[in-house]
Amino acid sequence: MPLANPPAPQLTRTRAAVDATNLLRAYGSGEAQVVALRNVSVQFASGAFTAIMGPSGSGKSTLMHCLAGLDTVDRGSVRIGDTEITGLNDKALTRLRRDKIGFIFQQFNLLPTLTAEENILLPASIAGAKADPAWIGRVIATLDLADRLTHKPTELSGGQQQRVACARALATRPEVVFADEPTGNLDTRSSGEVLRFLRRSVDDFGQTIVMVTHDPSAAAHADRVVFLADGQIVEDLHRPTADSVIDTMRGFENRVPLAGEGR
Amino acid sequence: MLRATLKGMAARKARLILTSIAVVLGSAFIAAALVLTASIQATVDDLNGDAYAGADVIVQPVEPENRGDRLVRDGVSAETLAAIEANDDVASVSTTVTWMVNALGDDGKIVGGFAPTMAVNWGDESVERELREGRGPETAGEVAVSARFVTESGLGLGDTVEAYSLATDQTAYEIVGVFGYSGDRDSLSGATELAFTTAEAQRLVFDGEDVYTTVAVTGADGVSGDELLAALEPAVGDEAEALTWQAYVDDLNAETAEATSLIGYFLLGFGLIAVFVSVFLIANTFSIVIAGRLKEIAMMRAVGASRGQIIRSVLAEAGLLGAVASVVGAGLGVAAGAGLTSLVGNSFLDTASTSVAVPAAAPVAAVAVGLVVTVLSALLPAVRASKTPPVEAMREAVKADKPITGVTVTGLLVTLVGATGIVLGLTETFDGDKANLAAAAVGAGIVFVGVALLTAWLSKPVVALLGAVWSWSFAGRLGRLNASRNPRRTAVTAAALMIGVTLVTATATLLTSVKASLAEQFESSIKAELFITGPVTSSVPATFDPALMDDIRDADGVAAAVELYYDLAQVDGTEQYVNATTDLAGGIELFGGEVLQGTVADLEEGQTVVNEWSANELGIGVGDTVTMTFSRGSEAHEFTITGILADNEDTDGWYVDPSYAAEFYTPKPTTALVDVADGADVDEVTAEVESILADEPAVSVQNHEEYLAQVTVFFDYAVIAIQLLLALAMIVAVIGVVNTLVLSVLERTRELGMLRAIGMTRGQTTRMVTVESVTIALFGALLGIGTGLLLGWIVQQALVPSGIEEFAVPTALIAAYLGAAVLVGLLAAIAPAVRASKVDILGAISYE
Ligand SMILES: Nc1ncnc2c1ncn2[C@@H]1O[C@H](COP(=O)(O)OP(=O)(O)OP(=O)(O)O)[C@@H](O)[C@H]1O
Ligand SMILES: [Mg+2]
Repeated sequence: MPLANPPAPQLTRTRAAVDATNLLRAYGSGEAQVVALRNVSVQFASGAFTAIMGPSGSGKSTLMHCLAGLDTVDRGSVRIGDTEITGLNDKALTRLRRDKIGFIFQQFNLLPTLTAEENILLPASIAGAKADPAWIGRVIATLDLADRLTHKPTELSGGQQQRVACARALATRPEVVFADEPTGNLDTRSSGEVLRFLRRSVDDFGQTIVMVTHDPSAAAHADRVVFLADGQIVEDLHRPTADSVIDTMRGFENRVPLAGEGR
Repeated sequence: MLRATLKGMAARKARLILTSIAVVLGSAFIAAALVLTASIQATVDDLNGDAYAGADVIVQPVEPENRGDRLVRDGVSAETLAAIEANDDVASVSTTVTWMVNALGDDGKIVGGFAPTMAVNWGDESVERELREGRGPETAGEVAVSARFVTESGLGLGDTVEAYSLATDQTAYEIVGVFGYSGDRDSLSGATELAFTTAEAQRLVFDGEDVYTTVAVTGADGVSGDELLAALEPAVGDEAEALTWQAYVDDLNAETAEATSLIGYFLLGFGLIAVFVSVFLIANTFSIVIAGRLKEIAMMRAVGASRGQIIRSVLAEAGLLGAVASVVGAGLGVAAGAGLTSLVGNSFLDTASTSVAVPAAAPVAAVAVGLVVTVLSALLPAVRASKTPPVEAMREAVKADKPITGVTVTGLLVTLVGATGIVLGLTETFDGDKANLAAAAVGAGIVFVGVALLTAWLSKPVVALLGAVWSWSFAGRLGRLNASRNPRRTAVTAAALMIGVTLVTATATLLTSVKASLAEQFESSIKAELFITGPVTSSVPATFDPALMDDIRDADGVAAAVELYYDLAQVDGTEQYVNATTDLAGGIELFGGEVLQGTVADLEEGQTVVNEWSANELGIGVGDTVTMTFSRGSEAHEFTITGILADNEDTDGWYVDPSYAAEFYTPKPTTALVDVADGADVDEVTAEVESILADEPAVSVQNHEEYLAQVTVFFDYAVIAIQLLLALAMIVAVIGVVNTLVLSVLERTRELGMLRAIGMTRGQTTRMVTVESVTIALFGALLGIGTGLLLGWIVQQALVPSGIEEFAVPTALIAAYLGAAVLVGLLAAIAPAVRASKVDILGAISYE
């Protein structure tokens, strides 16, 4: 199997939802300096589901945070849709996150004081806008959450909580959804549900999703897997399967010794 | 364990500092109160010790109990003085003639308010007076005045001052000298003095009798105080009493000690209230800190720490905090007490130097209270922490709040116990005033604890109701939800705020009710529109010339006018209020009284009228005779009862013909009522009557509102004073709000990070925290107002038999407190809101 497939033709024609060029991000200074991203350039096509993989400490979260405007880069530029985000102030970044980006974290996604439905509508509420009821209804139906809407997060299982988080991320039809190990805390069945939903939202709704994961079978749900090691992109795999992902990981683990364990 | 405790404390510095401020303030207040009390006592003792310095024996008249409110003075007679002077053991004698007078300043108004104006004889040696200008008085028309009198009256050397006493008419004196006191003081404890010749002083004080207020005797060489006392006993006889100088000073000290210790208890009481409030704050802080450490504690339990060890580690933390904070508090308190003493000394006592006394009790009590309160407050959270099951360490999910049913039931029971205490205290079930007062006070304290427990249950509906106000803003809605998400925490925080507000509201409600009851009685009974009276602060009762009554009666628009003379006389050997008026029937009419039997018209000499209750007390009726001896009178007069009045607070007492007023302690009328004719303009009549009274500076013309306002002015002062004293408790409560919010924000860092990540702006975050803060503050204020109104109502109901029949709500004060609560909420939110809006998003959302 070739290490890097040529990009699929239909994906190259689509405009990139996220475009990062020459990202450099270093923490600390002098001796203790850790370079988390070394000259990373990557595009995420609109309407595609991309997984980011790599050993612990390889810079996956850092990359995602920089792409989402949560962290600032030392050099390079990031574009979300039509917006160049490097250099934006806190206010503009906050608006951008609110209107153009959806987030799914590993845990602590939901506000315990709000019901599931209120949590789903949270971004719209924060924006003081009215969510599109037809769209929300469709998302809720797809996630099979209709009979859980009035429940508080404490009354939901971990899988249900993550499904609510997914619904919330999609509620504003963002340009891109970033998910950092969304299934990291879930059992196989619950992760399956969440991953199938993410897949469907790409297929049915044309959503763009970027997901960080450690799990090869999770990555197999994606259209493409980008591999990071020591702050650099080392592989770019299209149409992955669990086996091809595992093979790829073995491949570069052999080539690049597990350096950059900064933790 | 101790090392772990210390490390833990170091990591939570900010929280500990906030918590310790509460302990520091409480301890400091207690220490300051004790030091201030002791120092004022020491300073006053020093002043007392200056009185008659050098004399060996002091001779004073024997005071009959309660004669005319002690306004009519007895003196040591000239014969006794002569007998003392004739004694061989006596080296020298000095005499003092002194009592209160009224003097008019350059504005024609009576000089002085709360501090009295005293007349004294220039020869008096009780204190050292130092002439600053001019000379002493040599004739009856001359006076030397104290430096303080000069500043207060606006008069000076060469000016003429008008002065009068109860015994004399207004007289003009020429100021021939100005004096100060040893140590370059302008006054003695703020009082002003006018020094006359001895004869003139006797005219003012004793109506011209040749008697003396005090005779100070110095013994010949080699004669001790006790020997001199023994030698003088026969000369003094029954008319006066002699005592050694030391005994005299001891008496003075004991008298002032009573007043200062009362102030001390008062201050201490408010200090303890502040300490009580800090209990809530400390307990809450420890609860929250422990809640945030549940995982850590569970982990320690899992690796083998016993429950006792967990409790001890929390208590050790509390003990350390309490020790440091209370020592700091004691130090600050002692310093503050010393500082306040010189402030009080300089501004009120006008002393050249103040003595600062630091009783051992001050630091000891402050440290003990601070330490004990801190450790006790932490006990409950510590025990709760120790109950954490080790499995908690492995659990992930956010825990739902424990049910609060148990707390609510307990709260209800505790509230009832406290209320019972208050009712028992108010209905004087126990022996002695102190026991009853203690029962009521402890009951009130218990009610606070009970209501505080109930607040958790109350917080849901009330906070939801308050939240409706913010529902327009999503951030506001989140803030409201945060305020109600941990009912116990919100409840305890609000309860701390509640205490101060409750006390103020209860006091204000009661005083407003008293005012309303007075006003109601007034409006319903008194038919006269205008009152002629003097200020309540006047040291000598204000009087006016009765001859002016005819002018007033003749004035346009005056339907009737009645003047009243007043005395506290002996009636058949009992002390009774006796009034005199030229027009009794008119007076009864204007005061809304009612005649039950006989007649009140044309009261002649030797006839009297009395209310039913007083007549029954003496077992007499119409036609019976009684004897009366008036304040200034020496002989008893016989009176026949011609009429009985229905009981009515405004007309109760005895009535006689004004010809007896010469023997009253105020030989001139003190009050008059003016009935304005129907259709006449009240303002015009007021102006007319005022012009008639232009030469009577002591009295003024007032309508109902003005009169009531003047009578009840002390109530307003009382509310202000209580508010000032409660300021400390309120400050502690506000620190509590800040503390709770800071801790909650810390606890919710992750949540805040998530909210910020998905697009919540800094402004919205700030608004969210602010709404939570304002909601808690308003909740506390509402609770306080509610509880205060309830307490006020209970006390008012208990006082209905005493005539407090109206229940009135101090609306302005309540509105002010609600406004203040909003302000407090806003202020308390500043630090936590800034903290929340600056949450490091990345730090918050990255998992450990
Ligand atoms: N705030 C920070 N300060 C210093 N170093 C940091 C910081 N954040 C990340 N790093 C370092 O940057 C490197 C990349 O970290 P990053 O969190 O992006 O890794 P990751 O690929 O997400 O790892 P994991 O799979 O464990 O989540 C690591 O070496 C880490 O130690
Ligand atoms: Mg990561």
